[in-house]
Amino acid sequence: MKKHVLAAGLILLVASCCKGQKLSIENVYKLTLRSSDAIREGSEVKGYYFFYISDKIDKRTNEYTLQITDNNLNKLKDIKFQDSKDVTILESSFNGTDLIFLLYDDEARTFVYQVYGADGKKKYAYSRQLTKKEEKYLQATYLAVEDEENTYKGLYPIEGKGFISNMPSREDKDYTFQIDFFSTEKKKQWTYTPTIGGKKFVGDYLGYYNGVVFIEVLKYTGMSDGNPESYVIGLNLETGKQVFEKPTDQGKYKFYPASMSVVNNGKAVLFGEYFNPNGNIVKDKSLGFAFVGIDEKGNTVIEKYSAWGLELSKFMNVNAKGKIEDFGFMYLHNMIQTADGSIFAVGEGYKKVASAFGIASRIATAGRSGASTVKVKVTDMVLIRFDRDFNVKDAKIYDKNPNTQELPGGYEFASTPLLGKMLKYTFGQFDYAYSQTNKDYTSFTICYSDYERGKNYKGGTFNSISFNEGKITTDRINTKSDATWSTVMPGKQGQVLILDYYKKAKRIDVHFEKLN
Amino acid sequence: MMKVTVPALRSTILVFPFFIASLFCAAQLQPIYSFQKDDSSLKKAYFDQSVSKKNRALATLDKKYAAEYKRIYEDQFTEIGKLWQSDRSVTSAGAHGYLQSIVQKIISVNADLSKTDARVVFSRDWWPNAYSMGDGTIAINAGLMVYLHNEAELVFIVCHEIAHYYLDHTNKSIKQYVEKVNSEEFQNELKRLSKTEYGVNNQLEELTRTSAFSSRRHSRDNEAAADRLAFRFMKKTGYDCGAIKTCLELLDKVDDSLLYQSPDVRQLFNFTNYPFKNKWIQKESSIFSRVNETDATAGKEKDSLKTYPDCSKRISLLHDSLATTSTGGKKFLVYEELFSQLKRDFFIEMTEQCYRDKNLSRNLYYNLLLLQSRENTPLAVYSVARCLNAIYDSQKNHKLGSRIDTESKGHPEAYNLLLRMLNQIRLDEIASVNYHFCKRYETEMKNYAGFREEMNKTQNLKN
Repeated sequence: MKKHVLAAGLILLVASCCKGQKLSIENVYKLTLRSSDAIREGSEVKGYYFFYISDKIDKRTNEYTLQITDNNLNKLKDIKFQDSKDVTILESSFNGTDLIFLLYDDEARTFVYQVYGADGKKKYAYSRQLTKKEEKYLQATYLAVEDEENTYKGLYPIEGKGFISNMPSREDKDYTFQIDFFSTEKKKQWTYTPTIGGKKFVGDYLGYYNGVVFIEVLKYTGMSDGNPESYVIGLNLETGKQVFEKPTDQGKYKFYPASMSVVNNGKAVLFGEYFNPNGNIVKDKSLGFAFVGIDEKGNTVIEKYSAWGLELSKFMNVNAKGKIEDFGFMYLHNMIQTADGSIFAVGEGYKKVASAFGIASRIATAGRSGASTVKVKVTDMVLIRFDRDFNVKDAKIYDKNPNTQELPGGYEFASTPLLGKMLKYTFGQFDYAYSQTNKDYTSFTICYSDYERGKNYKGGTFNSISFNEGKITTDRINTKSDATWSTVMPGKQGQVLILDYYKKAKRIDVHFEKLN
Repeated sequence: MMKVTVPALRSTILVFPFFIASLFCAAQLQPIYSFQKDDSSLKKAYFDQSVSKKNRALATLDKKYAAEYKRIYEDQFTEIGKLWQSDRSVTSAGAHGYLQSIVQKIISVNADLSKTDARVVFSRDWWPNAYSMGDGTIAINAGLMVYLHNEAELVFIVCHEIAHYYLDHTNKSIKQYVEKVNSEEFQNELKRLSKTEYGVNNQLEELTRTSAFSSRRHSRDNEAAADRLAFRFMKKTGYDCGAIKTCLELLDKVDDSLLYQSPDVRQLFNFTNYPFKNKWIQKESSIFSRVNETDATAGKEKDSLKTYPDCSKRISLLHDSLATTSTGGKKFLVYEELFSQLKRDFFIEMTEQCYRDKNLSRNLYYNLLLLQSRENTPLAVYSVARCLNAIYDSQKNHKLGSRIDTESKGHPEAYNLLLRMLNQIRLDEIASVNYHFCKRYETEMKNYAGFREEMNKTQNLKN
């Protein structure tokens, strides 16, 4: 009634057929859960999907069931289809009216994007055939990560219009990325892949504003280029044609946008850290935060800088190079603007510390050890509040227990921004999970995991920092329970979905809990 | 078997008139609702009777499939034991005595039932259902009783469940199930499927569709047979058999709005100093918003009488029989006033049971219905305040998720709105809503036991 109990069979029913001389139905029935995840519209959770093999049809074909529920876990639809046995589901998204699923056929090297309309019927299917080189590159990037934190998720909803996909790509010898638009209004698709003037391109989707899709691009002239060129491009949503290309070093400082929001009554503002005009955004220490307003033609309309050593030092013990005492350097995870105009930067600290293991290994192997003499310690969470004119108004550090990451040899000399990127994308060591805002931007929740070693409780915790009508509260859920294992998934804003698996009872209990 | 049951039944019927007298005296002196007090010795007697019936059944098991029968009977008995040993079953003198009078009316005119050891009780469960457990235990949920129009409808329900027991449907279904899954044909099919590599699950689904067993759910044929026999039993009682049709029609459209006006949280939780916030009930865009098919789980979470088979089909199957009945049957033969009183009392009893079972959202919803009805305002106000404090505590300790329902197409609209509010309101806002709710009734509730404690608690939480 209150708990939704999923059949244990959905997880994996053992296929041992004989129990004595008699057979029971359970002995024969086989279902394998391939994947499950939240379906989101931006940061909002709109439902969940459970993708499983419901039958084997022949040597090469399976019958799959894609069970879709709403965000209360009420079953909405079972979509059954037959496809190659090599099909997996990679991700999904919802744009307010339509639902998209990205499926991947490993054997055929094909991405298939399936679009379902508000009536629950399949509307369109778009496919993309990968070359062998592309497949190899994707296996090292997008397909490589067991992605709980959605680091590499690449499907973004455009409300009522379609979805943008951002994927790593290969064009001959060049490493690049591919932006696709899949319309949900009619069957229409365009593709954009940068290849000219560089050997490697890395693209980040920033957002959509006034008919234009904004992408941040880092262009490397060669594979060993350590100082890439940064620029923002605007793509026309209807045609996919480039509207503008705007280098990010043309302002007062060099700027590296991390995200974009439409703020202050309809102005698109890029957020990120800034550097000296001749600095290197992947190696140098940043000078502080920058806010750059931009219109749909690429013109700068606002420029605001908050230096670590000036504005931010009023609220935190931070030096001019951005190092905060006991906290280290800040990795910027997200920026959120609330309805009152306040802008919040969500960050997490990290710093280099000596590695006893690395030093001992070096001594023991007379310097031939592959371990670095330094390791990285991931420290606390930080929330910085700016007013609507981008002046720092408050900053607070939220304590959590540190994690450490040993590094390969040679990383003693890596820059802190580069280490931050590695912690995020290579090691997955940050505790930040996700942020969610409500529809009218009067509240948001930042979620992160931690591990408690207290007298009363020892085990994992799921934590939140919530903003509601001007007040900030924190909360913690202990995730250790009587269950064999438990996992926390995103729920509606201010809620999480907890899955408890009881091995002995072959049962999963799924229940929502509210964050306080 | 009869010797165990009949004395208990007789003693219950003997105290019943005294209960009625005391009920009305108490009602005049004491406006505060007094919860029904169960007879624990009667519950124990019924429980012991179920134990001995189970033991007898286990002792006479067909040795061939003894282990399987034992597992099924043990599972079934666990459910029966839960009913007798919990506060769900109603054995208070008034309510139980009234029900036994009705049972006795049916038995006394049907010679076939003279040796029955059926033990019929009301339960405080909220969902509209009645069921026969196979060993003579028959329960009629408060959640069904509150919707009935008259005694004749209750008589049909009792006749229907007694008919299931008389026809031994549960035990026959168990036997049929065990024999089927152990049959050579079924086992050969399973063996074939276990060696088959492709298309196994679809074939299994087809195979299981016909062999699934549920102790509380009867097949379409059994329902029709129980209806026919219930009609035969009822025909002799002097009750109006037209109630069969109205009862079945009712089961098809059970809805809380049939009882009381739906509560509007926007008004009930709107205060001068703390206005209702629309964001608590703001609806979000949803996936497949234009799919009209009924919610897969709607109405099926409890095996309600109305779900299988369709009640309209059951009416049509009885059409010819009903046409033969003579007019002049009565809607009430035992006690009309008490029937109406019990309906009102059962609404309160099942609401309280929801609180005991930590079903907080439903407890709050029913209390808001009660509050709107103005029938028992002090109890409703106290219970709303107590429930909101319990919701606060549960949310603070991250236990609320298992104590409130989630929105579903199967729920009434007003309940979904309340659920949305409970899902979206924040912890400090719950305390503020409860504080202002208590403040609204502070004067008139000042002497109500427990109210001040709830109000003080919410005041502290708010601060």
